[in-house]
Amino acid sequence: MISRRHFLKYVSAAAVGSGLVQPLLTWAVSQEGLYIPGEDGMIVRSDRFIDLETPAEFLNSWITPVPHFFVRNHMHEPSTLDADTWQLSVRGEVGRPLTLSLAELHNFESHSVTNTLECAGNGRAFQQPHVPGIQWQKGAVGTAKFSGPRLRDVLQSAGVKPTGRHVIFRGLDEVPGRVPPFIRSVPVEKAMEEDTLIATQMNGLPLTRHHGFPARALVPGWIGAASCKWLTEISVAEKEFDGNFMRPGYRYPNHPLKPGDPLNVDDSHVLDSLNVKSIITSPGDESNVQSRLIHIRGAAWAGEAEVVKVEVSTDCGATWQPAQLGRERARYAWRLWRYSWKVPKSGAYSVWSRATDSKGRTQPETPEWNPSGYLYNAIDQVKVNVQAS
Amino acid sequence: MFRHRNLSCLFFCYCFFCFGIWLQAQSLELPYGTMQTKVTTACTECHSSRIIVQQRLSKGAWTKEVDKMIKWGAVVEAADRDSFIEYLSTNFPPDKAPDPMPRTSKKP
Repeated sequence: MISRRHFLKYVSAAAVGSGLVQPLLTWAVSQEGLYIPGEDGMIVRSDRFIDLETPAEFLNSWITPVPHFFVRNHMHEPSTLDADTWQLSVRGEVGRPLTLSLAELHNFESHSVTNTLECAGNGRAFQQPHVPGIQWQKGAVGTAKFSGPRLRDVLQSAGVKPTGRHVIFRGLDEVPGRVPPFIRSVPVEKAMEEDTLIATQMNGLPLTRHHGFPARALVPGWIGAASCKWLTEISVAEKEFDGNFMRPGYRYPNHPLKPGDPLNVDDSHVLDSLNVKSIITSPGDESNVQSRLIHIRGAAWAGEAEVVKVEVSTDCGATWQPAQLGRERARYAWRLWRYSWKVPKSGAYSVWSRATDSKGRTQPETPEWNPSGYLYNAIDQVKVNVQAS
Repeated sequence: MFRHRNLSCLFFCYCFFCFGIWLQAQSLELPYGTMQTKVTTACTECHSSRIIVQQRLSKGAWTKEVDKMIKWGAVVEAADRDSFIEYLSTNFPPDKAPDPMPRTSKKP
């Protein structure tokens, strides 16, 4: 028989030893697949309702392939979606209310916009103190070419009255319990811009179910939540919609809060344009590199503004070097960037990136904290272990 | 002989702990506890438990979340509210390391 003393000793040793397998198991679980049709290698933040994050290493191309494009659902996807019976109604402060079939919607001239779509909560996982919500890290963002009629063409066809100041979108999301429906609005000025669409295509193909088939709003440069999916009703109103996903949801404090402070809804505003932000997509965080020449790559975007520079630091912010911006560009799309770094000697390094935009905004070292973790845009950092002779 | 038995015991304990970590990392089940079944029933009526296990919140923040979910239709008996908050804030506190998340696969 093993004595009690020995048994406890072995239990303790095993417990300590098993701690070493945690990183291995973390890797193993991340490799294990969970089948969600149309999605490839995405990080599953939630499988019901579906919320999928793009791993940073997939964000190295200017256009993000649809199977690698993040999915953000606030509730369940519509259980039935039939292109033949789907209808879009346009009503409210309009002279001629409309009900359009998909075929009738396609009669409007189609327009394409390459847009970087980012969830307002992207980076929420890095907020300190932690805040509730889907714990996105870097990858609730992607760039795609969206195509479809201009929203303004459809609104002009319905004849917006002078009293119509806001355009409300309602999707077919299926609401669980007593959760308020996902309805949001944008000011009529944004709705009437030439690049605001009722998108029916993404990267040249019809929208997939996860991305809002058969039609979604596309409000370029703005937070992803503005671009409602599975669009079924557009309502023109005198006032901004004030349901849950406009108030208190998706609001930002007018003045910086101390970490942990609650939001005063009456001293806040609805989120609209995205912030200036860059991320490092390669090398990966905590990666081992066996070369003295490292090609650092990433993407940078700024909502309705333009990225004017991206800088890289390899000495924890003491000095910054300009990165080379990629040639591919569009008004609302991110710029890819790269920086070739000659590493002076082997060792552990922290590589930082920061973007500056045409409004003069630069990514801060410490982001503004807010209770929902919106618009996180701190300087991005990856740790790299260089082992080269 | 004695040495082999000692090694076997150590190996058994090691496997036991590894299996526990594996289950925790892998499982959709909420952690064991007197409120496990009630919390699972109330929350997964509407959404996956993955949404819960990724949160790392203080007791105050969990209190707000539980109250919001009750308002939104989660069936929680009034007498259970505090136990829900206690269970969630004990198992998913701010200082706990994040759980790994699986990835989607191309094929079923």
